[in-house]
Amino acid sequence: MRGTRGLWAAAVVAAVVAVVAAGCGGKSSSSSSKGNSINVAIVDNPQMKDIAKLTPSLFTAKSGIKVNYTVLDEGTLRQVTTRDVAAGGRQFDVVMIGPYEAPQFGRDGTIQDLTPYAQREASYQLSDIIPSVRSALSTDGKLFAAPFYGESSFVMYRKDVLKAAGLTMPARPTWDQVAAIARKVNSPKMAGICLRGKPGWGDLGASFTTVLNTFGGTWWSAKPDGSIGQAQVNQPAFKQALQFYTSLIHDAGEKDAANSSFNECLTQYKDGKVAMWYDATVAAGILEASDSPVKGKNGYALAPVKDTPASGWLWSWALAIPKTSSKADSAWKYISFATGPQYIKEAGTRIDGGWAAIPPGTRNSTYKIPQYEQAASAFADETLKSMAAAPIANPGTSKRPGLPGVQYVGVPQFQDVGNQCTQQFSAVIAGRSSIDSALKNCQTIASQAASQ
Amino acid sequence: MTATAGAVDASGSKRRRLNPRLSESWRRRLPLLPALLFTILLTQVPFVMSVYYSLTNWHIVPPGPRDFIGLRNYQHLFSDHFFRSAVWVSIELTVVPVIGSLVLGAAFAVLLDRKFFGQGVVRTLLITPFLLMPVVVGLIWKNQMFNDLYGVMNWVIEKLGGSSVDFVSRYPTWAIALTLVWQWTPFMMLIMLAGLQSQPSDVLEAAKVDGATPWGIFRQLTVTHLRPYMELGILLGTIYLIQVYDQVAVMTGGGPGSTNVPYFVFQRSIGGGWEFGQASSYSIVVVIFSIVIATIALRVLSGLLKGEEIA
Repeated sequence: MRGTRGLWAAAVVAAVVAVVAAGCGGKSSSSSSKGNSINVAIVDNPQMKDIAKLTPSLFTAKSGIKVNYTVLDEGTLRQVTTRDVAAGGRQFDVVMIGPYEAPQFGRDGTIQDLTPYAQREASYQLSDIIPSVRSALSTDGKLFAAPFYGESSFVMYRKDVLKAAGLTMPARPTWDQVAAIARKVNSPKMAGICLRGKPGWGDLGASFTTVLNTFGGTWWSAKPDGSIGQAQVNQPAFKQALQFYTSLIHDAGEKDAANSSFNECLTQYKDGKVAMWYDATVAAGILEASDSPVKGKNGYALAPVKDTPASGWLWSWALAIPKTSSKADSAWKYISFATGPQYIKEAGTRIDGGWAAIPPGTRNSTYKIPQYEQAASAFADETLKSMAAAPIANPGTSKRPGLPGVQYVGVPQFQDVGNQCTQQFSAVIAGRSSIDSALKNCQTIASQAASQ
Repeated sequence: MTATAGAVDASGSKRRRLNPRLSESWRRRLPLLPALLFTILLTQVPFVMSVYYSLTNWHIVPPGPRDFIGLRNYQHLFSDHFFRSAVWVSIELTVVPVIGSLVLGAAFAVLLDRKFFGQGVVRTLLITPFLLMPVVVGLIWKNQMFNDLYGVMNWVIEKLGGSSVDFVSRYPTWAIALTLVWQWTPFMMLIMLAGLQSQPSDVLEAAKVDGATPWGIFRQLTVTHLRPYMELGILLGTIYLIQVYDQVAVMTGGGPGSTNVPYFVFQRSIGGGWEFGQASSYSIVVVIFSIVIATIALRVLSGLLKGEEIA
């Protein structure tokens, strides 16, 4: 009888503890928005953290609208926004999306057309927005998301390290040149180059797809009507691009590459652990910020190419209002604050990084602010050049299906296929899977999506 | 939920033994009916909806009509090698942590069963890992222990003259399994401790008087006595660990070698796949397997209790 009691006691303890543990694990907050407040989902990059810090003093104090931020990493943000926007989640009044989502969501009618709001408000200066960014976020001339910052991709490198090794970076390098430099400067203390290796179509998928494009590969062929055709992952050009990318990381890449994306590479570059970095142009503002340990040591060159004249991507983190939001007017007031010309001027004197670290690449007027011109002299030119060169309409050597896009394919299936395939590629980078098996799996995934 | 089902089942068998009149048993059940109805509404209605969804091709990206497609999702499921590898990872991520935490938990329980100064503090400290949120456990291990640049394990390896290892990306299954062992050892320890402390002291004393060595007592009496507790630990551990999701999500975010079935279902549904029809069919299959495992578990469990009572 004693034994039974012991066993029962153990079972009860187990059950209670498990319930407590499960309770702890659950999400506790359902966002209730009371009074005049809006819920905003943003990505966890430095410029967004800055605006989150400044919002109470610069926006809430004047408008009386409280902003509840949800700061998420890129992958999670996409899940949340797609759930909220495409599946009608009704959680957010403003979501941060990009040129991949904005035209698709806009065409499906799940986010608001912002053009009427922007035109009504003269101080917003809609025509000041850089045309390539504006058109990337629009369909049929309707702006569906207002750009918070805009970017292309380019190579950042440590001038001092390359000089010490007796190397020079061409202004328009090829991938072969960049790879050769990376392998030469690579040392146990400092890796040659930081390349994204973290799974996710916007992480590894973005960097890799620009390489894929210029190597002459593509994800899918396009049917004559522009819809999605056959999966092309099993083609030689695709394999060549993946082989180039993964072997460059293996030979001269950063530590724990399979876990690294923008933020991880930024940390490693700032810590002097990598000599070069191929990533978003927006990073340059952080590298040259007044609180950066590598300020003034960096050179910038256009995105490396192989078979195409230009390969840099075009991206913008932009704010949109889901159709399900009942507070569209407050939401627009917030967007107008966050993406208008005024915030850029106000942020310059207030953020830790100083003028260099303001959100770049959205407005022509930004590049005419004298303080910014001075602080960003090292990279402003390259940024604008890269954004202008981004081959958004014709990124590769063959016709693409869907809407325009460089580092992604403008079809709804790409998000899922990109995520699943980059998990396979990331396993190759981590060294636990072969290129051939990754490509075989990815071809299956891409073919299934094409037949949907 | 499974534990509640077990309690109902076990008390049911007791009732049969008492052989009560039917009306009396219904009188006892009556107050429970509202709760039962509530439970059915909350759990079974969504389940029936899932069964229906699993027979459709419902997907929201790209948006399209929700057509009834019969058993096509299930046919696809058995030819899907990504699902098969998720099943395999699930098995690995259940068996390894259950056995690992059971062995470690038993060892700690034997040590804790002795009286020593500061026993209470040590016991509390040993239980702590189990009180942490699974997400926090995943983050602690990923960042503080396994990290390549500033993790404790690589720091030790480098101090010893080795070169650092990307544990999480190189060996995702083992990294997650180790984390789970760390978190679930206290659970096993508590169960084994309950077993050890319920040992009849007269038998142990008699063995000592008869001249048995401590190791002989442990091997022949304690281990035999602990067997049902081990079985209980394995059963409950399996039921909980087969649903691990949090550690996978925060440590690797999926990928070959770490996507288990719960994470796979998440990925195919709200995690980017947005194929609610297909994902529903996965979860229905998982539910069927879970019911099979739980039924076996409950059989064994009630058998254990009955056996104990007779003894």
